[in-house]
Amino acid sequence: MIQLFDLSKKFGPNVALNDIRLRIRQGEFVFVTGPSGAGKTTLLRLIFGAEKPASGYILINAVNLNRISRPKLDLLRRKIGFVFQDFKLLPRKTVFENVAIALEVIGLRPKFVRKKTHQTLRLVGLAEKEKSYPLSLSGGEQQRVAIARAIVKDPLILLADEPTGNLDPQLTMEIMELFKSIHRKGTTVVVATHSQELLEATDCRTILLNRGKISEDTP
Amino acid sequence: MNIRKNLSVHILSLGTIVASLLILGAFLLLFGNLNNWLQRWGTALSMSIYLKDGISEYRRDKVYSFIRGLPEAEIKRFISKEEALKDLRAALGEDAGFLNRLVRNPLPASYEIVFESKGTHGVEPERIKGELEKLDGVEEVQYSNEWLNKLEGFLNVVRLIGFIIGGLLCLCVVFIVTNTIKLTIYSRKDEIEILKLVGATDWFVKTPFLIEGTIQGISGGVLAVLMLFSGYLILPTKGVSLLGLTPLDFVFLPAGYLVLILILGAVLGVIGSFIAIGRFFAV
Repeated sequence: MIQLFDLSKKFGPNVALNDIRLRIRQGEFVFVTGPSGAGKTTLLRLIFGAEKPASGYILINAVNLNRISRPKLDLLRRKIGFVFQDFKLLPRKTVFENVAIALEVIGLRPKFVRKKTHQTLRLVGLAEKEKSYPLSLSGGEQQRVAIARAIVKDPLILLADEPTGNLDPQLTMEIMELFKSIHRKGTTVVVATHSQELLEATDCRTILLNRGKISEDTP
Repeated sequence: MNIRKNLSVHILSLGTIVASLLILGAFLLLFGNLNNWLQRWGTALSMSIYLKDGISEYRRDKVYSFIRGLPEAEIKRFISKEEALKDLRAALGEDAGFLNRLVRNPLPASYEIVFESKGTHGVEPERIKGELEKLDGVEEVQYSNEWLNKLEGFLNVVRLIGFIIGGLLCLCVVFIVTNTIKLTIYSRKDEIEILKLVGATDWFVKTPFLIEGTIQGISGGVLAVLMLFSGYLILPTKGVSLLGLTPLDFVFLPAGYLVLILILGAVLGVIGSFIAIGRFFAV
Protein backbone atom coordinates (compact mmCIF):
# COMPACT_ATOMS: atom_id res chain seq x y z
CA MET A 1 0.00 0.00 0.00
CA ILE A 2 1.18 3.51 -0.83
CA GLN A 3 0.20 6.30 1.57
CA LEU A 4 1.07 9.97 1.19
CA PHE A 5 0.47 12.31 4.13
CA ASP A 6 0.47 16.11 3.70
CA LEU A 7 3.20 15.77 1.14
CA SER A 8 4.87 18.86 -0.29
CA LYS A 9 7.88 19.26 -2.56
CA LYS A 10 9.67 22.39 -3.64
CA PHE A 11 12.41 22.99 -6.19
CA GLY A 12 13.92 26.27 -5.03
CA PRO A 13 11.05 28.77 -4.89
CA ASN A 14 8.83 26.61 -7.12
CA VAL A 15 6.24 24.45 -5.42
CA ALA A 16 6.00 21.15 -7.32
CA LEU A 17 3.56 19.42 -4.99
CA ASN A 18 1.48 20.92 -2.23
CA ASP A 19 -0.22 19.13 0.64
CA ILE A 20 -0.90 15.85 -1.15
CA ARG A 21 -2.91 13.23 0.72
CA LEU A 22 -3.29 9.99 -1.13
CA ARG A 23 -3.87 6.29 -0.53
CA ILE A 24 -3.28 3.65 -3.17
CA ARG A 25 -4.25 0.15 -2.13
CA GLN A 26 -2.20 -2.96 -2.89
CA GLY A 27 -3.14 -4.30 -6.33
CA GLU A 28 -4.81 -1.08 -7.48
CA PHE A 29 -4.36 0.36 -11.02
CA VAL A 30 -4.16 4.15 -10.91
CA PHE A 31 -3.62 6.81 -13.51
CA VAL A 32 -2.11 10.13 -12.50
CA THR A 33 -2.86 12.80 -15.03
CA GLY A 34 -2.68 16.52 -15.45
CA PRO A 35 -1.04 19.14 -17.64
CA SER A 36 2.72 19.41 -18.04
CA GLY A 37 4.33 20.72 -14.86
CA ALA A 38 1.41 19.57 -12.71
CA GLY A 39 3.75 17.43 -10.59
CA LYS A 40 3.12 13.92 -12.01
CA THR A 41 6.79 12.98 -12.41
CA THR A 42 7.66 14.48 -9.03
CA LEU A 43 4.93 12.45 -7.37
CA LEU A 44 6.25 9.22 -8.87
CA ARG A 45 9.86 10.06 -7.98
CA LEU A 46 8.83 10.76 -4.39
CA ILE A 47 7.07 7.39 -4.17
CA PHE A 48 10.22 5.79 -5.58
CA GLY A 49 12.45 7.52 -3.02
CA ALA A 50 14.41 9.35 -5.72
CA GLU A 51 13.37 12.69 -4.19
CA LYS A 52 12.89 13.76 -0.60
CA PRO A 53 9.77 15.69 0.36
CA ALA A 54 9.95 19.23 1.78
CA SER A 55 7.30 18.21 4.29
CA GLY A 56 4.93 15.34 4.96
CA TYR A 57 5.77 11.68 4.60
CA ILE A 58 5.32 8.62 2.44
CA LEU A 59 4.62 5.10 3.61
CA ILE A 60 5.28 2.19 1.26
CA ASN A 61 3.92 -1.00 2.78
CA ALA A 62 4.15 0.74 6.15
CA VAL A 63 7.79 1.75 5.65
CA ASN A 64 8.37 5.48 6.13
CA LEU A 65 10.60 6.70 3.29
CA ASN A 66 11.70 9.72 5.36
CA ARG A 67 13.36 7.43 7.87
CA ILE A 68 14.54 4.61 5.66
CA SER A 69 18.26 3.86 5.60
CA ARG A 70 20.17 3.85 2.32
CA PRO A 71 20.62 0.04 2.21
CA LYS A 72 16.92 -0.50 3.01
CA LEU A 73 15.92 1.92 0.26
CA ASP A 74 18.06 -0.13 -2.17
CA LEU A 75 16.18 -3.25 -1.07
CA LEU A 76 12.81 -1.49 -1.38
CA ARG A 77 13.63 -0.38 -4.92
CA ARG A 78 14.10 -4.00 -5.90
CA LYS A 79 10.37 -4.40 -5.29
CA ILE A 80 9.45 -1.34 -7.34
CA GLY A 81 9.68 -1.16 -11.11
CA PHE A 82 10.04 2.30 -12.63
CA VAL A 83 9.56 3.19 -16.28
CA PHE A 84 11.30 6.53 -16.75
CA GLN A 85 10.03 9.11 -19.19
CA ASP A 86 13.53 9.42 -20.68
CA PHE A 87 13.95 5.59 -20.53
CA LYS A 88 17.34 5.77 -18.76
CA LEU A 89 18.83 2.98 -20.84
CA LEU A 90 22.54 2.25 -20.89
CA PRO A 91 23.74 3.04 -24.42
CA ARG A 92 26.81 0.79 -24.18
CA LYS A 93 24.83 -2.25 -23.15
CA THR A 94 22.66 -4.40 -25.36
CA VAL A 95 18.88 -4.63 -24.98
CA PHE A 96 19.35 -7.96 -23.18
CA GLU A 97 21.96 -6.51 -20.79
CA ASN A 98 19.79 -3.46 -20.08
CA VAL A 99 16.94 -5.67 -18.96
CA ALA A 100 19.06 -8.29 -17.18
CA ILE A 101 20.76 -5.64 -15.04
CA ALA A 102 17.61 -5.28 -12.91
CA LEU A 103 17.97 -8.93 -11.91
CA GLU A 104 21.77 -8.95 -11.68
CA VAL A 105 21.82 -6.24 -9.01
CA ILE A 106 19.61 -8.46 -6.87
CA GLY A 107 22.26 -11.16 -7.10
CA LEU A 108 20.11 -13.80 -8.79
CA ARG A 109 21.72 -16.79 -10.49
CA PRO A 110 22.88 -16.11 -14.09
CA LYS A 111 20.84 -19.02 -15.47
CA PHE A 112 17.64 -17.63 -13.95
CA VAL A 113 18.55 -14.10 -15.10
CA ARG A 114 18.97 -15.31 -18.70
CA LYS A 115 15.71 -17.26 -18.68
CA LYS A 116 13.63 -14.49 -17.11
CA THR A 117 15.14 -11.80 -19.36
CA HIS A 118 14.39 -13.79 -22.52
CA GLN A 119 10.86 -14.38 -21.27
CA THR A 120 10.27 -10.69 -20.56
CA LEU A 121 11.73 -9.56 -23.89
CA ARG A 122 9.36 -11.95 -25.65
CA LEU A 123 6.51 -10.45 -23.63
CA VAL A 124 7.25 -6.91 -24.85
CA GLY A 125 7.93 -8.11 -28.41
CA LEU A 126 11.67 -7.46 -28.45
CA ALA A 127 13.06 -11.00 -28.53
CA GLU A 128 14.56 -10.37 -31.96
CA LYS A 129 16.32 -7.22 -30.81
CA GLU A 130 18.04 -8.51 -27.69
CA LYS A 131 21.52 -8.06 -29.15
CA SER A 132 20.84 -4.56 -30.45
CA TYR A 133 21.99 -1.42 -28.71
CA PRO A 134 19.40 1.10 -27.50
CA LEU A 135 20.52 3.88 -29.83
CA SER A 136 19.83 1.68 -32.85
CA LEU A 137 16.19 1.26 -31.76
CA SER A 138 13.16 3.43 -32.42
CA GLY A 139 11.66 5.52 -29.60
CA GLY A 140 8.87 3.00 -29.14
CA GLU A 141 11.29 0.10 -28.95
CA GLN A 142 13.44 1.92 -26.40
CA GLN A 143 10.33 2.52 -24.35
CA ARG A 144 9.52 -1.19 -24.43
CA VAL A 145 13.07 -1.99 -23.24
CA ALA A 146 12.51 0.38 -20.33
CA ILE A 147 9.19 -1.34 -19.57
CA ALA A 148 10.83 -4.78 -19.79
CA ARG A 149 13.50 -3.69 -17.30
CA ALA A 150 10.81 -2.43 -14.91
CA ILE A 151 8.69 -5.60 -15.03
CA VAL A 152 11.39 -8.27 -15.32
CA LYS A 153 11.71 -8.56 -11.55
CA ASP A 154 7.95 -9.01 -11.00
CA PRO A 155 7.67 -5.87 -8.87
CA LEU A 156 5.10 -5.31 -6.14
CA ILE A 157 4.65 -1.77 -7.41
CA LEU A 158 5.09 -0.56 -10.98
CA LEU A 159 5.51 3.16 -11.51
CA ALA A 160 5.42 4.33 -15.13
CA ASP A 161 6.08 7.91 -16.19
CA GLU A 162 4.49 8.60 -19.58
CA PRO A 163 5.13 5.02 -20.72
CA THR A 164 3.28 5.43 -24.01
CA GLY A 165 4.51 8.87 -24.93
CA ASN A 166 6.49 7.62 -27.93
CA LEU A 167 4.15 4.90 -29.08
CA ASP A 168 1.55 4.80 -31.84
CA PRO A 169 -2.08 4.08 -30.80
CA GLN A 170 -1.80 0.35 -31.52
CA LEU A 171 1.41 -0.06 -29.48
CA THR A 172 -0.08 2.12 -26.75
CA MET A 173 -2.94 -0.33 -26.37
CA GLU A 174 -0.54 -3.29 -26.44
CA ILE A 175 1.52 -1.75 -23.65
CA MET A 176 -1.62 -1.04 -21.66
CA GLU A 177 -2.61 -4.68 -22.05
CA LEU A 178 0.83 -5.60 -20.78
CA PHE A 179 0.38 -3.39 -17.71
CA LYS A 180 -3.04 -4.91 -17.12
CA SER A 181 -1.61 -8.42 -17.27
CA ILE A 182 1.02 -7.42 -14.68
CA HIS A 183 -1.72 -5.83 -12.61
CA ARG A 184 -3.72 -9.06 -12.75
CA LYS A 185 -0.81 -10.80 -11.04
CA GLY A 186 -1.31 -8.49 -8.05
CA THR A 187 1.11 -5.67 -8.84
CA THR A 188 0.09 -2.14 -7.90
CA VAL A 189 0.38 -0.03 -11.06
CA VAL A 190 0.65 3.75 -11.09
CA VAL A 191 0.85 5.32 -14.53
CA ALA A 192 1.49 9.01 -15.07
CA THR A 193 0.13 10.15 -18.40
CA HIS A 194 -1.46 13.09 -20.13
CA SER A 195 -2.82 10.90 -22.94
CA GLN A 196 -6.59 11.45 -23.12
CA GLU A 197 -6.94 8.44 -25.44
CA LEU A 198 -5.48 6.21 -22.81
CA LEU A 199 -7.69 7.60 -20.06
CA GLU A 200 -10.82 7.32 -22.16
CA ALA A 201 -10.06 3.70 -22.98
CA THR A 202 -9.94 2.66 -19.36
CA ASP A 203 -12.18 2.66 -16.33
CA CYS A 204 -9.39 2.76 -13.73
CA ARG A 205 -9.05 5.21 -10.89
CA THR A 206 -7.71 8.54 -12.18
CA ILE A 207 -6.05 11.24 -10.09
CA LEU A 208 -5.93 14.65 -11.68
CA LEU A 209 -3.09 16.88 -10.59
CA ASN A 210 -3.12 20.59 -11.20
CA ARG A 211 -0.36 22.98 -10.09
CA GLY A 212 0.90 20.52 -7.54
CA LYS A 213 -2.48 19.73 -5.97
CA ILE A 214 -4.97 16.93 -6.40
CA SER A 215 -7.91 18.55 -8.09
CA GLU A 216 -9.85 15.37 -8.83
CA ASP A 217 -9.75 11.75 -7.74
CA THR A 218 -12.12 9.59 -9.79
CA PRO A 219 -12.52 6.06 -8.46
CA MET B 1 35.67 -3.43 -18.57
CA ASN B 2 35.92 0.15 -17.28
CA ILE B 3 39.60 0.17 -18.13
CA ARG B 4 38.86 -0.57 -21.80
CA LYS B 5 36.34 2.25 -21.93
CA ASN B 6 38.72 4.90 -20.61
CA LEU B 7 41.92 3.55 -22.06
CA SER B 8 43.87 6.79 -22.48
CA VAL B 9 43.17 7.95 -18.92
CA HIS B 10 44.19 4.56 -17.59
CA ILE B 11 47.38 4.43 -19.64
CA LEU B 12 48.35 7.85 -18.28
CA SER B 13 47.55 6.78 -14.75
CA LEU B 14 49.33 3.46 -15.15
CA GLY B 15 52.39 5.25 -16.53
CA THR B 16 52.56 7.48 -13.48
CA ILE B 17 52.13 4.56 -11.10
CA VAL B 18 54.88 2.67 -12.93
CA ALA B 19 57.18 5.70 -12.79
CA SER B 20 56.56 6.19 -9.06
CA LEU B 21 57.04 2.53 -8.18
CA LEU B 22 60.06 2.36 -10.47
CA ILE B 23 61.74 5.23 -8.63
CA LEU B 24 60.84 3.55 -5.36
CA GLY B 25 62.22 0.21 -6.58
CA ALA B 26 65.39 1.82 -7.91
CA PHE B 27 65.90 3.46 -4.55
CA LEU B 28 65.43 0.14 -2.76
CA LEU B 29 67.90 -1.50 -5.15
CA LEU B 30 70.50 1.22 -4.67
CA PHE B 31 70.05 1.47 -0.94
CA GLY B 32 70.03 -2.29 -0.40
CA ASN B 33 73.24 -2.71 -2.35
CA LEU B 34 74.99 0.21 -0.66
CA ASN B 35 74.02 -1.24 2.68
CA ASN B 36 75.38 -4.67 1.75
CA TRP B 37 78.52 -3.14 0.37
CA LEU B 38 79.04 -1.16 3.54
CA GLN B 39 78.65 -4.28 5.61
CA ARG B 40 81.10 -6.17 3.40
CA TRP B 41 83.54 -3.28 3.50
CA GLY B 42 83.14 -3.13 7.24
CA THR B 43 84.05 -6.79 7.48
CA ALA B 44 87.45 -6.03 5.96
CA LEU B 45 88.34 -4.01 9.03
CA SER B 46 91.90 -2.78 8.74
CA MET B 47 94.17 -1.75 11.57
CA SER B 48 97.55 0.04 11.69
CA ILE B 49 99.84 -0.71 14.67
CA TYR B 50 102.51 1.96 14.97
CA LEU B 51 105.68 0.90 16.78
CA LYS B 52 107.89 3.06 18.98
CA ASP B 53 111.20 4.23 17.57
CA GLY B 54 114.11 2.05 18.56
CA ILE B 55 111.95 -0.94 19.48
CA SER B 56 114.05 -4.02 20.16
CA GLU B 57 113.84 -7.12 18.03
CA TYR B 58 112.50 -9.00 21.03
CA ARG B 59 109.65 -6.51 21.63
CA ARG B 60 108.78 -6.47 17.95
CA ASP B 61 108.58 -10.29 17.96
CA LYS B 62 106.29 -10.08 21.00
CA VAL B 63 103.97 -7.67 19.15
CA TYR B 64 104.11 -9.90 16.07
CA SER B 65 103.21 -12.98 18.12
CA PHE B 66 100.34 -11.13 19.77
CA ILE B 67 98.93 -10.13 16.39
CA ARG B 68 99.29 -13.68 15.05
CA GLY B 69 97.27 -14.83 18.03
CA LEU B 70 94.34 -12.56 17.19
CA PRO B 71 91.44 -14.49 15.64
CA GLU B 72 90.75 -13.68 11.98
CA ALA B 73 93.61 -11.20 11.85
CA GLU B 74 95.92 -11.32 8.87
CA ILE B 75 99.16 -9.36 8.75
CA LYS B 76 99.12 -7.71 5.36
CA ARG B 77 102.41 -5.98 5.62
CA PHE B 78 105.18 -4.78 7.93
CA ILE B 79 106.14 -1.23 7.03
CA SER B 80 109.58 -0.25 8.28
CA LYS B 81 110.43 3.40 9.03
CA GLU B 82 112.31 3.59 5.72
CA GLU B 83 109.41 2.11 3.76
CA ALA B 84 106.99 4.49 5.46
CA LEU B 85 109.12 7.44 4.37
CA LYS B 86 109.39 6.01 0.88
CA ASP B 87 105.60 5.63 0.70
CA LEU B 88 105.15 9.19 1.90
CA ARG B 89 107.67 10.47 -0.63
CA ALA B 90 105.81 8.62 -3.38
CA ALA B 91 102.47 9.96 -2.19
CA LEU B 92 103.73 13.56 -2.06
CA GLY B 93 105.35 13.34 -5.51
CA GLU B 94 106.78 16.71 -6.56
CA ASP B 95 106.13 18.20 -3.14
CA ALA B 96 108.36 15.67 -1.44
CA GLY B 97 111.42 17.95 -1.57
CA PHE B 98 111.04 19.22 1.98
CA LEU B 99 111.52 15.67 3.26
CA ASN B 100 115.24 15.99 2.30
CA ARG B 101 115.68 18.63 4.95
CA LEU B 102 114.58 16.27 7.73
CA VAL B 103 117.35 15.54 10.23
CA ARG B 104 115.82 12.21 11.14
CA ASN B 105 112.95 10.04 9.90
CA PRO B 106 109.94 10.93 12.12
CA LEU B 107 107.68 8.19 10.75
CA PRO B 108 107.11 5.08 12.86
CA ALA B 109 107.36 1.50 11.66
CA SER B 110 104.02 -0.27 11.59
CA TYR B 111 102.08 -3.47 11.02
CA GLU B 112 99.07 -3.32 8.66
CA ILE B 113 96.56 -5.97 9.63
CA VAL B 114 93.14 -6.90 8.24
CA PHE B 115 90.28 -8.74 9.94
CA GLU B 116 88.62 -10.82 7.28
CA SER B 117 85.47 -12.80 6.56
CA LYS B 118 83.05 -13.06 9.44
CA GLY B 119 82.29 -9.39 9.74
CA THR B 120 82.82 -6.83 12.38
CA HIS B 121 80.32 -8.53 14.66
CA GLY B 122 82.87 -11.07 15.90
CA VAL B 123 85.70 -8.56 16.10
CA GLU B 124 85.92 -5.92 18.77
CA PRO B 125 88.35 -3.37 17.34
CA GLU B 126 88.23 -1.10 20.36
CA ARG B 127 89.16 -3.94 22.74
CA ILE B 128 91.97 -5.18 20.46
CA LYS B 129 93.26 -1.63 20.11
CA GLY B 130 93.35 -1.30 23.90
CA GLU B 131 95.19 -4.57 24.35
CA LEU B 132 97.73 -3.75 21.64
CA GLU B 133 98.42 -0.31 23.06
CA LYS B 134 99.24 -1.91 26.41
CA LEU B 135 102.08 -3.85 24.82
CA ASP B 136 105.60 -2.49 25.26
CA GLY B 137 106.90 -0.99 22.02
CA VAL B 138 103.47 -0.07 20.60
CA GLU B 139 103.06 3.66 20.10
CA GLU B 140 99.52 3.90 18.71
CA VAL B 141 96.82 1.81 17.05
CA GLN B 142 94.36 3.13 14.45
CA TYR B 143 91.57 1.30 12.67
CA SER B 144 89.04 2.04 9.95
CA ASN B 145 86.13 2.53 12.30
CA GLU B 146 85.95 6.26 11.81
CA TRP B 147 85.34 5.85 8.09
CA LEU B 148 82.79 3.18 8.77
CA ASN B 149 80.88 5.46 11.15
CA LYS B 150 80.92 8.26 8.63
CA LEU B 151 79.59 5.99 5.90
CA GLU B 152 76.94 4.61 8.21
CA GLY B 153 75.92 8.17 9.00
CA PHE B 154 75.75 8.92 5.31
CA LEU B 155 73.60 5.84 4.72
CA ASN B 156 71.26 6.90 7.52
CA VAL B 157 70.77 10.23 5.77
CA VAL B 158 70.16 8.39 2.48
CA ARG B 159 67.67 6.14 4.28
CA LEU B 160 65.81 9.14 5.70
CA ILE B 161 65.71 10.88 2.32
CA GLY B 162 64.53 7.60 0.81
CA PHE B 163 61.67 7.34 3.28
CA ILE B 164 60.60 10.92 2.58
CA ILE B 165 60.80 10.47 -1.21
CA GLY B 166 59.11 7.06 -0.95
CA GLY B 167 56.30 8.53 1.16
CA LEU B 168 55.78 11.38 -1.29
CA LEU B 169 55.74 8.95 -4.21
CA CYS B 170 53.15 6.80 -2.42
CA LEU B 171 50.99 9.89 -1.87
CA CYS B 172 51.46 10.71 -5.54
CA VAL B 173 50.26 7.23 -6.57
CA VAL B 174 47.20 7.48 -4.28
CA PHE B 175 46.39 10.92 -5.70
CA ILE B 176 46.67 9.67 -9.28
CA VAL B 177 44.61 6.54 -8.71
CA THR B 178 41.97 8.61 -6.88
CA ASN B 179 41.66 10.99 -9.79
CA THR B 180 41.64 8.28 -12.45
CA ILE B 181 38.90 6.38 -10.66
CA LYS B 182 37.01 9.64 -10.18
CA LEU B 183 37.21 10.29 -13.92
CA THR B 184 35.94 6.77 -14.58
CA ILE B 185 33.12 7.29 -12.11
CA TYR B 186 32.14 10.58 -13.76
CA SER B 187 32.22 8.98 -17.19
CA ARG B 188 29.88 6.28 -15.88
CA LYS B 189 27.70 8.60 -13.81
CA ASP B 190 24.54 7.75 -15.76
CA GLU B 191 25.17 4.05 -15.49
CA ILE B 192 25.73 4.32 -11.74
CA GLU B 193 22.53 6.33 -11.36
CA ILE B 194 20.57 3.70 -13.27
CA LEU B 195 22.10 0.89 -11.25
CA LYS B 196 21.07 2.67 -8.06
CA LEU B 197 17.58 3.24 -9.44
CA VAL B 198 17.07 -0.46 -10.14
CA GLY B 199 18.09 -1.31 -6.59
CA ALA B 200 21.83 -1.96 -6.71
CA THR B 201 23.49 -1.66 -3.30
CA ASP B 202 26.34 0.81 -2.86
CA TRP B 203 28.82 -2.08 -2.73
CA PHE B 204 27.48 -3.59 -5.94
CA VAL B 205 28.38 -0.32 -7.64
CA LYS B 206 31.58 0.37 -5.71
CA THR B 207 33.25 -3.03 -5.97
CA PRO B 208 34.18 -2.81 -9.69
CA PHE B 209 35.93 0.50 -9.02
CA LEU B 210 37.87 -1.00 -6.12
CA ILE B 211 38.89 -3.93 -8.32
CA GLU B 212 39.88 -1.47 -11.03
CA GLY B 213 42.11 0.48 -8.63
CA THR B 214 43.68 -2.74 -7.37
CA ILE B 215 44.34 -3.97 -10.94
CA GLN B 216 45.93 -0.62 -11.76
CA GLY B 217 48.17 -0.77 -8.70
CA ILE B 218 49.26 -4.38 -9.29
CA SER B 219 49.82 -3.79 -13.04
CA GLY B 220 51.87 -0.73 -12.18
CA GLY B 221 53.90 -2.80 -9.73
CA VAL B 222 54.51 -5.63 -12.24
CA LEU B 223 55.58 -3.19 -14.98
CA ALA B 224 57.82 -1.28 -12.56
CA VAL B 225 59.54 -4.52 -11.47
CA LEU B 226 60.02 -5.63 -15.09
CA MET B 227 61.47 -2.26 -16.07
CA LEU B 228 63.70 -2.24 -13.03
CA PHE B 229 65.00 -5.70 -13.93
CA SER B 230 65.58 -4.64 -17.55
CA GLY B 231 67.50 -1.61 -16.31
CA TYR B 232 69.52 -3.84 -14.01
CA LEU B 233 70.44 -6.10 -16.95
CA ILE B 234 71.29 -3.24 -19.30
CA LEU B 235 73.23 -0.92 -16.99
CA PRO B 236 76.74 -1.84 -15.75
CA THR B 237 76.21 -3.32 -12.31
CA LYS B 238 79.36 -5.35 -11.73
CA GLY B 239 82.52 -3.97 -10.12
CA VAL B 240 81.19 -0.44 -9.70
CA SER B 241 83.93 1.53 -8.03
CA LEU B 242 82.92 4.07 -5.41
CA LEU B 243 85.36 6.57 -3.88
CA GLY B 244 88.18 4.21 -4.82
CA LEU B 245 87.00 1.71 -2.20
CA THR B 246 86.12 -1.99 -2.53
CA PRO B 247 84.32 -2.43 -5.89
CA LEU B 248 80.57 -2.90 -5.59
CA ASP B 249 78.71 -5.70 -7.40
CA PHE B 250 75.04 -4.77 -7.63
CA VAL B 251 72.62 -7.61 -6.97
CA PHE B 252 68.91 -7.42 -7.93
CA LEU B 253 66.22 -7.00 -5.33
CA PRO B 254 65.37 -10.17 -3.40
CA ALA B 255 61.97 -11.81 -4.05
CA GLY B 256 60.56 -10.42 -0.80
CA TYR B 257 61.15 -6.85 -1.97
CA LEU B 258 59.54 -7.56 -5.34
CA VAL B 259 56.45 -8.94 -3.63
CA LEU B 260 56.50 -5.86 -1.40
CA ILE B 261 56.43 -3.55 -4.47
CA LEU B 262 53.46 -5.48 -5.90
CA ILE B 263 51.61 -5.41 -2.56
CA LEU B 264 52.40 -1.71 -2.21
CA GLY B 265 50.99 -1.09 -5.70
CA ALA B 266 47.82 -3.02 -4.83
CA VAL B 267 47.39 -1.30 -1.45
CA LEU B 268 47.91 2.17 -2.95
CA GLY B 269 45.43 1.29 -5.72
CA VAL B 270 42.81 0.21 -3.19
CA ILE B 271 43.37 3.32 -1.03
CA GLY B 272 43.07 5.58 -4.10
CA SER B 273 39.84 3.89 -5.21
CA PHE B 274 38.42 4.03 -1.69
CA ILE B 275 39.01 7.77 -1.52
CA ALA B 276 37.45 8.26 -4.96
CA ILE B 277 34.32 6.21 -4.32
CA GLY B 278 34.02 7.55 -0.79
CA ARG B 279 33.82 11.10 -2.08
CA PHE B 280 31.53 10.22 -4.96
CA PHE B 281 29.02 8.17 -3.04
CA ALA B 282 28.91 10.40 0.03
CA VAL B 283 25.29 11.64 0.22
